[in-house]
Amino acid sequence: MSQGEKSMGIDLDDFLDFYLLDSQEQVEKLGSGLLQLERDGENISLVNDLFRSAHSLKGASGTMGFTPIVKLTHAAEDLLDKLRQGKMLVTNEIIDVLLAVTDKVKMMLAQVERRLDISVDYGDLTSQMKTITETGALVQKSKPFAEKNQMEEQEEKPGINFALSPEETETVSEAAFVSKSVYWLNVVLEPNTMMKAVRAVMVIQRLELLGNVVKIIPSIDELEVCEALEFNILFVTNELQKDIRADILEVSEIYDALVTNYTLPESDAPEIGLTVQSEEENPVSTEKSIEESVQISRSKQANQPVQQNTNEQPRKDVNQVHTIRVDTARMDNLINLVGEMVITRTRLVKIGQDLQTENQTDPLVVSLNEANVYLGRLMNDLQESVMKLRMVPIGTVFSRYPRLVRDLCRKTGKRIELVIHGEETELDKTVIEMIGDPLTHIIRNSVDHGIEAPEERLAVGKPEVGTITLDAYHEGNHIAIIVSDDGSGLNIEKIYKKASEKGLVSGREGLSESDIANLIFQPGFSTADQVTDISGRGVGMDVVKKAITNLGGIIDIKTSKGVGTSMIIRLPLTLAIIQALLVEVGKETYAVPLSSVVETLLVNKPDIKTVGSLPMVQLRGNTLPLISLKQKFDLPESETINEEVYVVVVGLGEKTVGIIVDELQGQQEVVIKSLGDYLNGLPGIAGATILGDGKVTLILDIGSLLQDILIKR
Amino acid sequence: MAEEQMVTFSLGSEEFGVDIMKVQEIIRIPPVTRVPKARSYIEGVINLRGNVIPIVNLRSRFGMPPGEETDLSRIVVLQIDNRVFGIMVDSVTEVLWLDSEAIEPPPPIALGMDSNYIRGVGKIGERLLILLKLDQLMGGDSMNEQIA
Repeated sequence: MSQGEKSMGIDLDDFLDFYLLDSQEQVEKLGSGLLQLERDGENISLVNDLFRSAHSLKGASGTMGFTPIVKLTHAAEDLLDKLRQGKMLVTNEIIDVLLAVTDKVKMMLAQVERRLDISVDYGDLTSQMKTITETGALVQKSKPFAEKNQMEEQEEKPGINFALSPEETETVSEAAFVSKSVYWLNVVLEPNTMMKAVRAVMVIQRLELLGNVVKIIPSIDELEVCEALEFNILFVTNELQKDIRADILEVSEIYDALVTNYTLPESDAPEIGLTVQSEEENPVSTEKSIEESVQISRSKQANQPVQQNTNEQPRKDVNQVHTIRVDTARMDNLINLVGEMVITRTRLVKIGQDLQTENQTDPLVVSLNEANVYLGRLMNDLQESVMKLRMVPIGTVFSRYPRLVRDLCRKTGKRIELVIHGEETELDKTVIEMIGDPLTHIIRNSVDHGIEAPEERLAVGKPEVGTITLDAYHEGNHIAIIVSDDGSGLNIEKIYKKASEKGLVSGREGLSESDIANLIFQPGFSTADQVTDISGRGVGMDVVKKAITNLGGIIDIKTSKGVGTSMIIRLPLTLAIIQALLVEVGKETYAVPLSSVVETLLVNKPDIKTVGSLPMVQLRGNTLPLISLKQKFDLPESETINEEVYVVVVGLGEKTVGIIVDELQGQQEVVIKSLGDYLNGLPGIAGATILGDGKVTLILDIGSLLQDILIKR
Repeated sequence: MAEEQMVTFSLGSEEFGVDIMKVQEIIRIPPVTRVPKARSYIEGVINLRGNVIPIVNLRSRFGMPPGEETDLSRIVVLQIDNRVFGIMVDSVTEVLWLDSEAIEPPPPIALGMDSNYIRGVGKIGERLLILLKLDQLMGGDSMNEQIA
């Protein structure tokens, strides 16, 4: 009883995060399951899975009191139940409605997450589902709810020992005198129940109305942390066995409940407790007679030492945990600390070097430098391990696109297959979070403008079904994400015409096809003749480009008329710690991400030619456009005229540009820090870092510098 | 009677006050890194114990002539809506309590300054304290204009 009282104080709000995580997972499951079901309508076990997802979603939402979600999922559950019982066949209409339900629930969960009241309107959906469910019911009347439990029937139930304290033993034995019954309840939760403690509390609350709860194993607190899906209750009551069971089963997410008579051990060993049932024995279901189960318990008790068994169940389960969920804020804090350590290490190294130039022979200095080298290695390992914590497979983003393509296909009447490769490619969590929307935009574009209508495709001898391929792979320090379609390709002439109409280009000469194709990244550019629901509102690829540039990446197009279009996105693997080349310009120091540095050159001033307004230099037969950082960043030209200048050649993918600087300072590991909201998005600057001497140094944004030059050309 | 606690500082010949609850700390001026292409009143960024924070040059923000950095010059680090930035001032003078009744709305011709930045004027005997509207210092005109 004391357990029950204590636990009733649990604030549901504490479980909100659990609830959200779990529900979002269930919604994802529903979504992907439905898409699978659309292709494989006969798959009953799939329908069962979907039903279970909907059911636990409903249950969890009910506990948390989110009625709209409950109503919506309840209707969906009814519909799935029909499918499950084979009373209805899977149709596109049903899939559509159910997918719409998952969308609505997602929206509702988003509101819950922001601690808002749920205001999403869902009435039309529930009535739509009701209509479908009832039309189906004309054929055959639906069966009562009870049948469900039979379908999911019996599993083996391991036994439990109640190690009772003397007072608890007394309570139980007193019950016998007042002719109350003592029951052992074994309550099994549905798999994936997130808020097990809440369920247990709900069960206990119900039981408290019927009688007296003596003991719960595992305790409510243990239940929340361990993986066990069941708990046992010792219960004293006047009620009948079957009434108790029925009552418990009304709590949602309860898979099953066994109610068995419980007898105290003979009076000589009250604190040892009692084995009611052991794992070797057959499970005792409600159908079995009370007599029988009591007999089993007695026979077992005779030869089994009890204590040893008591805690085994939870402990075993705890060992099975291979992953833990960690708050990202905690992880980011860890990464920050490692970052600070990296900075401190650079300082140590600098001190060591300074000491060495001053006093080369001091053995203390020598050993300091040795220790520094060792520390460096450790730091590298530590950094790498910490960075791995943040890596997430890109499949988590890719998984939303099958649905997108399907919906777009239904809207446009096109037939498209989405092929996905490289889902397992990992990249930084922040990048993952930011890349979803740009990719969505690109895929929408591919469906709307890329892939032709089926008739058109057949007419030019292509297969009726178009293909969009989504691919991701590692490429050095970058990750490449490629979205390609086998559609009509970009219309270069049309883009050029549009661009010159809008005054984006002045002349045709010197523009390659790919240069023209890249014009679609200019703000306000959209070539769609008609504004469609899918894309073509004029807010287009420039937004995509901006998002990718913000991530330190670059986007490129390859297109071939009649054959298709590929969008190639290159992104840095991680955003936190990078190798950088420090360069000096005037009196200022800047950091260039080493991953984009191709080479460094010493160039004679007279070799620099100006083409148009851009300085260029010949490099192994190719012209390399140059950027003067001094000009770019409004620094005064130095008075001493050097005959030679340093050029840092940087590139992403096939595009390269040379940056003119005064000095190269050497390479160093730097921790990328944001410039904050106030200074975000300045052209040419990706962020800042703190060097060993404590000074802030800005990191160049190679992506934006490159795009700058490309546009100028 | 309601009172407000203020940190006061001087800039040229004027004295200013900011709500003490918005002041995170007051520091000496460390090396400041210029940020190219940022707005003219952004002096640059500094390292505040491992965090990079922007510094506003109040003189330039208020259209005053540039001043010399002295031993008394300080950066007042402010925290507004969870965002941290610093303002450069000639010197920090004191911390004082001010009756809300002693605060008057900004005069129409606000001491030659844009009245957008002024919350009011506090009177302490003969002294006039210009109370700053801090959220307008960094925001107001959006940074994005410059980017586009």
